[in-house]
Amino acid sequence: MGAVCVAGTLIALILHQGGEYAWLTAGFPVLGLVYVTTGLVAWARRPGSRLGLLLVIAGAFALLPEVAVVDAPVPQAVAWIVGTVILGVIVQLLLSFPTGRLHTTTERVVVLATYVVCLPLQAPLYLFDPDSPLCVATRPDLVTAGRDVQRVAGALVTLATAALLIQRMRRARPEQRRVLVPLSVYGIFALLVIPVSSALEHSVFEGDPVQRTILQLVSVGLVPIVFLVASSRGGFDRTSDLAELGIWLGSEEAGRPELRAALATTLGDPSVEVLFRVPGEEALVDDRGIPVTVPALADGRGTVDVELGGRAVGAITYDAMLVDRPEEIREAGRIVAIALDRQRLNVELRASRARIAATADGERRRIARDLHDGLQARLVLLAVQAAGRGDQATLQAGIQSAIEELRELVDGVMPAQLTERGLAAAVEDLRDRLPMPIELRVDGLEQRPRPDVESAAYFVVSEAISNALKHAGPAALSVSLERTRDQLVLAVADDGAGGARARAGSGIRGMVDRVEALGGEVYVDSVPGRGTRVRAVIPSAS
Amino acid sequence: MREGLRLVLEGAGFTIEAVAEDARDLVRRALGLKPDLVIEDIRMPPELTDDGLRAALQLRSELPGLPVMVLSQHVQRRYAVELLRHDDRGVGYLLKERIADLETFIADLHRVLDGGTVLDPVVVAAMMDRPRPGDPLAGLTPRQREVLALMAEGRSNAAIAARLHVTEKSVVRHVSLVYDALGIDQSSEDHRRVLAVVRYLSR
Repeated sequence: MGAVCVAGTLIALILHQGGEYAWLTAGFPVLGLVYVTTGLVAWARRPGSRLGLLLVIAGAFALLPEVAVVDAPVPQAVAWIVGTVILGVIVQLLLSFPTGRLHTTTERVVVLATYVVCLPLQAPLYLFDPDSPLCVATRPDLVTAGRDVQRVAGALVTLATAALLIQRMRRARPEQRRVLVPLSVYGIFALLVIPVSSALEHSVFEGDPVQRTILQLVSVGLVPIVFLVASSRGGFDRTSDLAELGIWLGSEEAGRPELRAALATTLGDPSVEVLFRVPGEEALVDDRGIPVTVPALADGRGTVDVELGGRAVGAITYDAMLVDRPEEIREAGRIVAIALDRQRLNVELRASRARIAATADGERRRIARDLHDGLQARLVLLAVQAAGRGDQATLQAGIQSAIEELRELVDGVMPAQLTERGLAAAVEDLRDRLPMPIELRVDGLEQRPRPDVESAAYFVVSEAISNALKHAGPAALSVSLERTRDQLVLAVADDGAGGARARAGSGIRGMVDRVEALGGEVYVDSVPGRGTRVRAVIPSAS
Repeated sequence: MREGLRLVLEGAGFTIEAVAEDARDLVRRALGLKPDLVIEDIRMPPELTDDGLRAALQLRSELPGLPVMVLSQHVQRRYAVELLRHDDRGVGYLLKERIADLETFIADLHRVLDGGTVLDPVVVAAMMDRPRPGDPLAGLTPRQREVLALMAEGRSNAAIAARLHVTEKSVVRHVSLVYDALGIDQSSEDHRRVLAVVRYLSR
């Protein structure tokens, strides 16, 4: 609003003073107004980006020299001093697109150099020009020399800027390049228009300042519009800020876009990836539950961990070139942590379902193979023997061993004791068949838990025991089954080698899946050299 | 299964008095008919868990000494212990597949009918293989273990001698050494010793 007032006042003053070129001179405050307006629009759209702010500053520096319309020493001096600063701001805008922040030291040096050209190198022009209220000595030679130095230095920083922009364009992804190329080309053109057109005023414009001024006004005036359009295009689209993530969180779940899309929009980085940390996996997994390698910063990717209540639930990876402030991502991560955790649970659930299905499938395959390779082959042999000269005793022995094989197979699929007598009996039966004595403690299992709870519990105990015997080489093994009012607690402890991990064998993984499917939890405490203790808690109302 | 059994039994001169539908039916009919021998499966309707075993225990508590032969797809040490806990007279517990060995099966039925005890070798093996801390079975010779196993199956000294191709006298010697090792009273009667052995083994 203030800018409009200032610009309006300036335009009014200019028009009031009149003169042959008053309409043209009034174009300068209008130019400033264009900058300020587009800056405010950009700012409103992306408060996290400094681009809008820079455009507003550029607008201010476009307006400021125009105070010279007031014919007093101070406004005149201001106009002389800051007359070319807008060019420096344009360089800064170009190099800091789209975040409004400079990324590298080189960029900062170039921008600083540009301001040196615009401010200190401007000094000889107003210090030695008699028209200037700041004139200390009338030295046309110094004015000319100063102007030459400024032009050469200006050309150098423009070249440096162009070089940096070209480098950026080459590194950019194709969709970013589509935006960066026109923006940079136009930016360089706009930078060159003012000095070049002034220098060529006599040769090209035949001394007509009107044409030159119109060209300068239009080309510089288009700069902010180009920026505004570019910042909403291609890889730089960002229409909301972090606060909008909060709105997203609160919105109806059915209608809202997925978490990744929301983050991509908010952070202005379409390459944003959301990764999840699931128990039992050392690597982060993607939304399909597949472990992924976290990309390195060297590949231009940054990663920020997301925590919820001090617990790592996942990570967000982003384009390090596009997003130079990890704090912003971290902040976004904090906002969406709960949503991310929930999605993580979904991912986990999906993965464990897939594993349970795969396990069941594998079991069926194993049973089919055992039936086919063992029993069926044996029966075929018996049939051949029965048809041929096989004697009675051999035949009977063959049938006998086929029956035994079938019994073992059936018992392996579902132990008879588990069906008939329940968990405690089945575990006791299991103990009877083990090669070493185990200590078994059973408490509160007079009433049988639900069959699915019994099956899962039996599976955990038998898996833990077989793991211990297979890998740990224990001297002592103890099992306890304890049923309280609302849960079944199983513990299998050995004094063996330890160092078991959920990831290592699918055995522990399978236990975890089965127990978690019933709303329970499995704790594996296995320090190398200090034995393994597997504890499972399964909800089970008595 | 039932038809096969009927054929075997009728072929061996048994008369089928009744065939029960489920465990409850079995108890009801057996209590009414008071048969000479009950043959049943452990897993039977209505619950298809251990209904048959519970029926056998109920029958034997209501009709003490009623000979019962329990057949099963698989055998459990625990079931053997429960069957023999209070009374080991006239009890058999065999895998279903033993029916195929007709001669032995019919002989086992007659042993149960006469108040003897028959345990499936698999049950006995399960009991004897069961690892226990400070196991005194570890001190037995292989031959003594064989004798113990046959004792636990319910076989007489004569049968053990025949099976192992030794004299009955040497069986008696082995048996007494086994009793010593296990600390079982030597004065036990022939069928009593199964109980003694089983009680020891199921500790």
